[in-house]
Amino acid sequence: MQCGTMVAELLQFIIAGLKSGAVYALVALGFTIVFGATGAINFAQGEFYMLGGMTGVLLTTWGVPLPLAVVGAVMLTAVIGAAFELVAVRPIASGDPLRIIMVTIGGSVVLRQAALHLFGPDERALRPFTAGPSLRLLGAAVERQTLWVWAITAMAVVVLAVVYRQTMFGKAMRATSIRRDAARLVGIDASAMVTASFGLAAALGALGGLVVAPLTQTAFYVGSGMGVKGFAAAILGGLGNPVAAVGGGLILGLLESLTAGYLDPLYKDAVALVVLLGVLFLRPQGLLGGRGTEKV
Amino acid sequence: MRGRILRLSMAVLEAALAAALAVTLVACSAPTSPKPDAGEGGEKSGEPIKIGAVVSLTGTYAGLGEPEKATLEMEVERINAAGGINGRPIELIIEDDATDEAKAVAAAAKLIEQDKVIAIIGATGTGQTMAMRGDIQRAGVPQVSMAGGTVITAQFDPLVFATPWSNTIVVPYTLEALKADGITKIAVISDSGGFGKDGVAVLQAEAPKAGIEIVANETFNPGDTDMTAQLTKIKGTAAQALVMWSAGKEAATVVKNARDLGLELPIYGSHGNARKEFAEGAGEAGDGVRFAAGKILVPETYGEGTEAYKVATDFIARFTEKTGSAPSTFAGHAYDALYLIVEAAKRVQGELTPAALRDEIEKTSGFVGIGGTFNMSPTDHNGLTKDDLTLYEVKDGAFTVVK
Repeated sequence: MQCGTMVAELLQFIIAGLKSGAVYALVALGFTIVFGATGAINFAQGEFYMLGGMTGVLLTTWGVPLPLAVVGAVMLTAVIGAAFELVAVRPIASGDPLRIIMVTIGGSVVLRQAALHLFGPDERALRPFTAGPSLRLLGAAVERQTLWVWAITAMAVVVLAVVYRQTMFGKAMRATSIRRDAARLVGIDASAMVTASFGLAAALGALGGLVVAPLTQTAFYVGSGMGVKGFAAAILGGLGNPVAAVGGGLILGLLESLTAGYLDPLYKDAVALVVLLGVLFLRPQGLLGGRGTEKV
Repeated sequence: MRGRILRLSMAVLEAALAAALAVTLVACSAPTSPKPDAGEGGEKSGEPIKIGAVVSLTGTYAGLGEPEKATLEMEVERINAAGGINGRPIELIIEDDATDEAKAVAAAAKLIEQDKVIAIIGATGTGQTMAMRGDIQRAGVPQVSMAGGTVITAQFDPLVFATPWSNTIVVPYTLEALKADGITKIAVISDSGGFGKDGVAVLQAEAPKAGIEIVANETFNPGDTDMTAQLTKIKGTAAQALVMWSAGKEAATVVKNARDLGLELPIYGSHGNARKEFAEGAGEAGDGVRFAAGKILVPETYGEGTEAYKVATDFIARFTEKTGSAPSTFAGHAYDALYLIVEAAKRVQGELTPAALRDEIEKTSGFVGIGGTFNMSPTDHNGLTKDDLTLYEVKDGAFTVVK
């Protein structure tokens, strides 16, 4: 094979990897945010990804213009996420992470079955954000929707960083995740911060489900699979560190794509898992996680 | 005082337990005595005939199982209104397997042990259908599956029948269509699930016979959201057409990824793509995709005025009226499964037992259903031929017939 086509092939694999990776990153961010606030893994995170796509499709079928439908779906899912926290997680007075984890596993089943009854069992399609043929980059193709995936993920990360660093709300969130008791002593409503973390995580998951829906269709059952990927990405990067979660997502996407391209697509999921296990053995704090070990 | 109440409640509990035990014992000993009307030719009218169905109403195949359930309920109601089977009404018992093999086994066991059905329709998926086989064999109850995997009838079992067109019919038909277009080199992409694996195995066996070479064989996992890597590899081969074997929503992603990559090969899918969700999901990229499937998608292909045309249009009209949308091919598989059993049961002389029913289903000849005209034999438990297929092309989100 010619050198030119080999470079184009590699570039194509990288583009595909970064596309999936960006979506994993959004879901992984949701995991880290809830982990930061509660010390627990929110296993319903994948269902928020599903709800984002499905409510977005529902709104467009009602005639809502696409941009509004996207914003509406993100907000609706955020409200569902916050409500889920109020109804199911808050009553656990002790805030024991293990019990929160069990509640979120149950919650994910409830959300999935509710979606089946509300939206029906069929796959649904969302139209691309901008129509048109894919663009060319050194012999590789980039779908227009892929650019949206990257743009929206980058935007979400920047907005999140600004909110966390600059605003009072963000500082309160960070304070709560560092030490809950101390945060309460300085007048931060820690319970409200936990609710906000679920809302925020749901919004990020929904965003992931929305940007990818025009590429893959969505259905009531897509949540659990994506939940596993997002969780793996969050662990890979290092839980509790938002930047690491994004890095973990992108690395996972690239690994999968390169495995599918140069080895066998069937091993794709397995390779990701093996790398994950390797990281857990050698660097339990995650590839990019330096801080946050005090959580363990 | 408290002690007395405790003792009293213990006594009540003991009495209740004893009563429950007695009832259970009586109930357990009852079935061993022969029914008084057995052997009278099953003439006793009014006593319902129990037929079980295992469908996927939740889980990945819910989109297939829902129309199957709607069809079974609608048709049983219709058959009972017209007098049932020789004067006896049908009692349909539907179980959900949640697209899970273990649950399918549990559902089959429940239908056999508790409900004592004479036949089982199902399951929706190939994996679930195969998982039930042990219980089917133990009970000696005939099973009519609605799943498309070749293994169901290829791993032959005297008790097991299947209504969808199997890959052993669809693959050769598709290869003929490719050959007619002058194509000799194909790239294959399939899902690693049961349906895709099965299709590829048949393709590998049949392609050399048709003079067609498979130059690339790529797979993806159900649930994958991007197939760009596999298609990029295919782009670098000498393939003249892309053959895709997948029944899931991933098929639409394959088609979109292929067109976005600038892969301009003609795409040939399978009967797994005969769903409106595929055409919707693929959007513009779906234009020109061809696949072979049964005639229900465009009833005119049955031949207007024929019995098959009448049966199909009749069913489409009733289904559309009940559910508000046209039936998918899966609804048709359920229709065929039910009527194969019902028609066979009507023909049974003497007592209607599972064994007698099985023998009659095997003797089915010239039964005009939705999937085609069924001719069962002791070696063929599907009974369809490639004459029951039509080549379709997706155009503007609709299925058109390729002349």
